[in-house]
Amino acid sequence: MDSKTNSFVSQFSAQPLPKTAPALRQAAATQLKEMSLPTTRWEAWKYTSVKPLLEHSFQLAKGGNVTDITPFLIPGLEANVMVFVNGKYSEKLSHVDKDSKLTINSLSSITSDQLSAFEKDFGQLASLDEDIFAAINAAYAEEGVWVSVKKNKAIEKPLHILHLTDVNEASAVQSRNLFVLEAFAEVKVVESFHSLSGQATFRNAVTEWVVGENARCEYVKLQLESQEAMGVDRTEVHQAKDSQVQLFTITLGGAWVRNNLHFHLKGENTSSVLNGLYMLDNKQHVDNHTLVDHFAPNCYSNELYKGILDDESSAAFRGKIHVHQPAQKTNAYQSNRNVLLSNTASINTKPQLEIYADDVKCSHGATTGQMDEDALFYLQARGIPLKQAQQLMVFAFAGETIEKMGMEPVAEYIERLIENRF
Amino acid sequence: MLSIKNLHASIEDKAILKGLNLEVKPGEVHAIMGPNGSGKSTLASVLAGKDDYEITDGEVLFHGKDLMELAPEERAGEGVFLAFQYPVEIPGVSMTNFMRASVNAVREYRGQEPLTAGQFLKLMKEKQELVKLDGKLTKRSVNEGFSGGEKKRNEIFQMSMLEPSLVLMDETDSGLDIDALRIVSEAVNTLRSEKRSFIVITHYQRLLDYIVPDFVHVLSDGQIVKSGGKELALELEEKGYDWLKEEALA
Repeated sequence: MDSKTNSFVSQFSAQPLPKTAPALRQAAATQLKEMSLPTTRWEAWKYTSVKPLLEHSFQLAKGGNVTDITPFLIPGLEANVMVFVNGKYSEKLSHVDKDSKLTINSLSSITSDQLSAFEKDFGQLASLDEDIFAAINAAYAEEGVWVSVKKNKAIEKPLHILHLTDVNEASAVQSRNLFVLEAFAEVKVVESFHSLSGQATFRNAVTEWVVGENARCEYVKLQLESQEAMGVDRTEVHQAKDSQVQLFTITLGGAWVRNNLHFHLKGENTSSVLNGLYMLDNKQHVDNHTLVDHFAPNCYSNELYKGILDDESSAAFRGKIHVHQPAQKTNAYQSNRNVLLSNTASINTKPQLEIYADDVKCSHGATTGQMDEDALFYLQARGIPLKQAQQLMVFAFAGETIEKMGMEPVAEYIERLIENRF
Repeated sequence: MLSIKNLHASIEDKAILKGLNLEVKPGEVHAIMGPNGSGKSTLASVLAGKDDYEITDGEVLFHGKDLMELAPEERAGEGVFLAFQYPVEIPGVSMTNFMRASVNAVREYRGQEPLTAGQFLKLMKEKQELVKLDGKLTKRSVNEGFSGGEKKRNEIFQMSMLEPSLVLMDETDSGLDIDALRIVSEAVNTLRSEKRSFIVITHYQRLLDYIVPDFVHVLSDGQIVKSGGKELALELEEKGYDWLKEEALA
């Protein structure tokens, strides 16, 4: 391990390994010793340097003084709410209905008789190879959510996982989620990230979804932290046959954000919809890295990432569709579309197809442009002030993503957040 | 109400308007005709405030105000309306949201209260009927999937919603078949009033059979070279524009 990596890792490794899944934790800690931080010479990290992470000395976040979560709730969304303050689960601020067919637990409250069920799925998807952040998380992340939904159980009430950071020094937080849906189960989850203070923070999050046969889920990730916040997010989704997953990655906050999203389509006839929306200004940087692995025949995936970039913000998108040889009759689509609102904003986009099956329908594409001047003039000529005209155009652009959301209050919430950016 | 004096405008250092003069009084309809490249559409764009053009000399007063100093949205607020030659498609922006934003922005500029949702929908319905715009079109995105004729009719619909005092029609007739032309013209005629003036820019005399002008002007090489009554349009239709050039040289 080089010295930079060593000092970065030591910010997390000064504590004992968590008690859950000890074998996996130990293996990750051991593997970590052989790993190093990525550099921009790595193809997967070409457009995102980890340097900003090394400019701070992060303490593991602790404490936090949050008494009122109302400002962070989503109006109109009647949900079970799990609140994490500085990475620690707050039972006091959370509210979860009791339900025998549903386990909603924070990792720290897993009981000994639940352990074997938890350990069966925990850490099975997020491979640690070449991902030091995932390895740090696997070894040392103590807290997060474990949701397990029994067969045929459709959960009406969405789950809102609320992460708040309230710190007075540069701080690091880890979180780790595991969602397991048995056959025909259904669930909707919103996970939102917020900062209460302007300190530099680093969040290292890993989420695994094990989606059973004919199960359905919608998962909305809302990255709304301050522009001092940095973060790496890794999300793995495993789909069994006939399952349907719709996922949103919405990035409005953060100074430096890297999202790794990986779908494993293991069963036939699955549907996967990957939606992304990033709206950036100042010097924000977001890198979305996605991989959709089609292993089985007759699966459908559709990926649409849209970006709106202002000021000196920058973004990267790399999406790969990998159609393995048995995955005949695959329908896979991917598109990344960007609007640059300033001359100093930039985007690097790289859609990729890798196809080993011969009977498939796949397409990919990327566009980047300025806001349509003729349309702006048209709106202005009808009396609409320039700023409002731009807002209408941004809404229209973002709307294509947001309107697909099943949870209407969440869609409206995001619209308001976008509105507030003007 | 509109007074254009010695207007010079250029685009990328190329002079297009070269000393144009025009006076328009309330309620008048002025037709501006002229060959391609004479500056007709430039005049419309300059008056509406498209910033591709540089005003190098002259002035434009509208109700006594210096129009060139105002942003496009302020001009709309003042009562200038441009019916576009090529109405722009704006995917994702619904006609209803667009019109509500537009009407309320103009009302705000004019110091009026915004319309309530109910008042607004009533107004939409009323004006739709007036210009015979198919109700299903207002449920779509702005101009998206509209036929050529529907786009032009949509312009007239927007005009009726905003109640401007000066309407610039930039080749509204081009690309319309005779039925569409008739429908658009009828809509315009119902909107003519003592207080509302029109500048109708066109290539073709046939539009002026339906929208009968008080004055016809010929624009050539950035200047008005001849003005007359509605019979001038017929003369132009018959003889073309070349005789004017000869006349000008003589």
